[in-house]
Amino acid sequence: MKALALFVVVITGAMLIYAGQDLPAFGDINSPSYQAPMTQYFINNSLEESGVPNIVTALLANYRGYDTLGETAVIFTAGMAVILLLRRRET
Amino acid sequence: MSGILDIVYAEYNYWIYVTLMMIGFYAMIAKKNLIKKVIGANIFQTAIFLFYISLSDVTGGTAPILMGGHGGEHAADVIYTNPVPHVLILTAIVVAVSTTAVALALIIRIYNEYGSLDEDVIRAARRELQPEFSEHARQKSVAEVSEQ
Repeated sequence: MKALALFVVVITGAMLIYAGQDLPAFGDINSPSYQAPMTQYFINNSLEESGVPNIVTALLANYRGYDTLGETAVIFTAGMAVILLLRRRET
Repeated sequence: MSGILDIVYAEYNYWIYVTLMMIGFYAMIAKKNLIKKVIGANIFQTAIFLFYISLSDVTGGTAPILMGGHGGEHAADVIYTNPVPHVLILTAIVVAVSTTAVALALIIRIYNEYGSLDEDVIRAARRELQPEFSEHARQKSVAEVSEQ
C-alpha cells in the first residue's frame, strides 16, 4: 500500500517537473504574466484610481471588492460549520 | 555544463515546490492518522502558494508598494514585482484556513464518537456499530437486487 502511494507520488512529481519546463524562468521580467496589459495597468494607474500606494491593497479592496466580500462569506460559513459541529448537545 | 547550470538556476523554484507538494500528497494518501492527513493537505496548499509567489517574482524588483505614494519624492524607474498573484494567494490563504478549521472540527467529532483517529480503527468500529452500512452488506444487497 505504501509502495503504491510512493509510486503514484513519484510519477505525479515527475510529470509536474516535466510540465514545469515550459514555465517562465525564475525572476524573468519578460514573463507573460508580468508583461500582460492588466498587470502593467495596475502598476501604473492604481494610485490615481484608488488612492492607495500599496497595489495589493488597492487590488484586494477596490478592483476585487466583490471577491473579498465572497471571502468573508467563506469565513462566516466555516465559522458556522465549526460552531454547529462542536456545540454541546442538550440531551 | 553551463547549460545545465542555467536550467537549474532558471527552474529550481519549480522543483522545490513540486517536492513540497509531493510530500504533502504522500501524507494525504499514505498516512492512516486523520490529523496527519490534514497536515499533508496544508503542506500541499503551502506548495501552491509558493508556486504563485515565485511566479510573481521579478529579479531586482521590490514589493508592490509605490515609492513616493505618500507624497515623498516620486521614483519613476523602480521595478515592482507582479501584484496580481499576491492578491490571488491572499484569498487562497483565507480559504485554506477555513477548510483547515472545518476539517479539525470534524476530526474532533470523529474522535469523540469513535475514540480513535486511525482510519482502520474507525472503519472497523463503524462496521460493528452499523452492520447495515458495511461494505459486505452493501455488496450483498446489490447482488440481491441484480438477482431479481
